[in-house]
Amino acid sequence: MAHVVLRNITKRFGQVVAVDNLCLEIPRGQCISLLGPSGCGKTTTLRMLAGFEDLDEGEILVGDRVISSSLKRYYLPPEKRDFGMVFQAFAVWPHLSVFDNVAFPLQIRGLGRAEIREKTTTALTYTGLLDVRDSYPNELSGGQKQRIALARSISFNPTVMLLDEPLSNLDPKMREVMRFEIKELQKRFNFTIIYVTHDQAEAMALSDRIVVMDYGAKVQQDDTPLNVYHRPANKFVFGFIGLSNFLQVEAADGGTYLAGAREAGPIGGERPPQALGATPTLACRPGEIELLRDGGVRGLIARRTLLGDIVDYRVRVGAQEVRVQRSVRQPLFEEGAACGLRFTRLHWYA
Amino acid sequence: MSSQSGRIGKARRRWAQTLRPYAYILPTFVFLFIFTHWPILRTFYVSFFKWNMASPTMEFVGAANYVQAWKTPLFWQVLGNNLLFAAGTVPLTLAVALALALLINQKIRGLALYRALLFYPTMIPMAAAAMIWLWILTPNYGLLNYYGKWLGLPDVHWLGHSTLALWALVLVGVWKRVGYYMVIYLAGLQVIPEHLYEAARIEGAGPWQRFWKVTFPLVSPTTFFVGVMAVIDAFQAIDQVYLMTGGGPGNATNLFIFYIYQNAFRFFDFGYGSAISAILFLILLALTLLAFRTLHRKVHYA
Repeated sequence: MAHVVLRNITKRFGQVVAVDNLCLEIPRGQCISLLGPSGCGKTTTLRMLAGFEDLDEGEILVGDRVISSSLKRYYLPPEKRDFGMVFQAFAVWPHLSVFDNVAFPLQIRGLGRAEIREKTTTALTYTGLLDVRDSYPNELSGGQKQRIALARSISFNPTVMLLDEPLSNLDPKMREVMRFEIKELQKRFNFTIIYVTHDQAEAMALSDRIVVMDYGAKVQQDDTPLNVYHRPANKFVFGFIGLSNFLQVEAADGGTYLAGAREAGPIGGERPPQALGATPTLACRPGEIELLRDGGVRGLIARRTLLGDIVDYRVRVGAQEVRVQRSVRQPLFEEGAACGLRFTRLHWYA
Repeated sequence: MSSQSGRIGKARRRWAQTLRPYAYILPTFVFLFIFTHWPILRTFYVSFFKWNMASPTMEFVGAANYVQAWKTPLFWQVLGNNLLFAAGTVPLTLAVALALALLINQKIRGLALYRALLFYPTMIPMAAAAMIWLWILTPNYGLLNYYGKWLGLPDVHWLGHSTLALWALVLVGVWKRVGYYMVIYLAGLQVIPEHLYEAARIEGAGPWQRFWKVTFPLVSPTTFFVGVMAVIDAFQAIDQVYLMTGGGPGNATNLFIFYIYQNAFRFFDFGYGSAISAILFLILLALTLLAFRTLHRKVHYA
C-alpha cells in the first residue's frame, strides 16, 4: 500500500507552472529520488510535501490521511507533519551543542528528560556523532554539520524523510561516505525517503526508484536506477543520466551512416525503427563505443584527454564529433591518428 | 660598499613598511585626538582643580572634587535617577524595537510606509520631540489627559509628579530611540537564514518556540549591541530633561549629564563638573567592560 501519495498536484508561481499535474505513489520504506535539472520543480514538490508551499491543485496523502488539499483549502502546518527533513544548507543551531541540536525536536515535543537523553544518544550513535556531542557546530566540518542535521531529523522517529540535495555542499569524498550512511540509516529505521537531487550518481547510489523530471516536474521516466540508466525512456532521460552522444544519421543503400559521412562507412548493428521517420537521432554512451585500428566507422582523433583511469577521445567523423571513453589499459590512440568506431549499443530517438 | 648601501636601503624599506599604516590612520587619529581623547584627558586633569572657567588661574585641590561628589546627597540621587531611567528605557527599548522589527520583517502591504512612520521619531530633533510630548503630557488640555478624561481617568500632572515625571521621560526616551534600534534589529533579523526557520518548523516548532529557540538566540549579536548603546544613551539623556522638566520637580528627573551641565555651565564650578564627568566616564567604561565580559559569552553569531 502506498505510504505517500501525490494526487494531481500543480503549483504555479505567477505565469510559471513549477509543478504540472504530478502524480506519484510511494510505498512505505522506499527511497525515491526526484532527479532533474535545477528549476525543474523537484524542490517545489518537496516543499509542498513539507507543507512550506500550498498547492494550486491536487492533494497529498500520508497513509490514508490528507495533509494537503487544494480543494478543501486544508494544509497541515509543517510543524504538525512529523517529517524529517535535511536541507542543502546546513540547518544547524550555532548556539547549541551537538547534543542539544539533536535533542531540539524532542524538547519541542515536550518529552521527558530521560527519554530525550535516550533518543538523542541513539541518533548520535547511528550518525557517528557520539564523540563530539559536546562540541559546537562551528567547530565541526561540513560533513559533521550535515550529520547533525541528519541526526536531528531522525531523533523523533519520523516515518517520512525529505532530503533536499543534502550532500551538494559537501566535498566529493564526504558525499560518497554520506550516501552509504543515509542508506544504512534507512535500512535501520525503515523510513520512506524522498530525495531531491540533480546529481545522477547520488540518485543511482541511493534510490530504489528514480523519477526523472523535466521542467514543470513532468515525469520523463519513473523506474529502477538500472533501467533509467540502461533503458532510458526518451532522449531527455538519456541525455540527463550519464554522458551521451547524440548523432545525426542518414540512410542510404540499405545501410545507416553518420550524416554527411557516407565515406566513413556504415554504422552497422540494428537499424533505426521506421516509426522514427527519415532523420532519427542515434544516442550512445561514450563508454559503449570501441576504438579500432582497422574497420568500423572511420574517423580522426581530434582531441585526447587523460582522466585518470579513463581516456576521453573526441573523434571527428565528417562534420560531427563523437565522444569515446576507453580504459587506459587499452591501446592508446594519438591525436590526429585515424581510427575506427564500433558502436556496441545503439539507442534510437526521434 | 654597495652591499652596505643595499643594507641601508633594505632597512629604510622596512621602516617605510612599519610606518605606512600609521600614516594612513594619522588623519583620523588627529581628529579623534583633538575632539575626543584630548577633552577626556583634559577633563580628568581639570577635575583636580578648582576653576570657574573665567579665572586665569586654576587652584589645585587634589581629590577634593571627588570627595565633594561622595558627600553630596544630590550626586547620589542623580545617580539613582539615572540608573532608574536606564532600568526603564533599556529593556523597554530592546523589547519594543525587537517586536516592531519582527512586525516589519514580514511581507505586508505598505511596509515602506510603516517603516518610515516608525523611524520618523529618530529623524526629528529631540527638542521638537520634547515640545510635542510636553503638549501631550500637559495637565488639563494635554492629549493624554484629554483622552484619559473620556475614559473617566483622573487628571494627572505627569511632569509635575515626583515619581511619574521620570517615567514620562522614560516614555519619551523610548519613543524617540526605538525606531532607530528597530532598523538595527531588522538588519539583524534579515541575517538569520530562512532555512533555519524551515528546519525548526519541520521539526515541530510553533511560532512561539521559533521565536525563543531560533530568533532570540540568533539575533543576540544585535541585542548585545543595542543593549550597550541603549545603556550609553540612557546616561547621555539631557535634551528632554532640559526642555521638559528642568530636572524637577525637586530633583526627581535630574539626570547625570544635566547635573554636569548645571554644575559646570550654570554654577561655573568647572572642577566639580569635570570630576563628575570623569565618574560618568568610568561608570560607562565599567558597564561596557562588564557587558563584554559576561553577556558576550551568550552572543551567537549565525
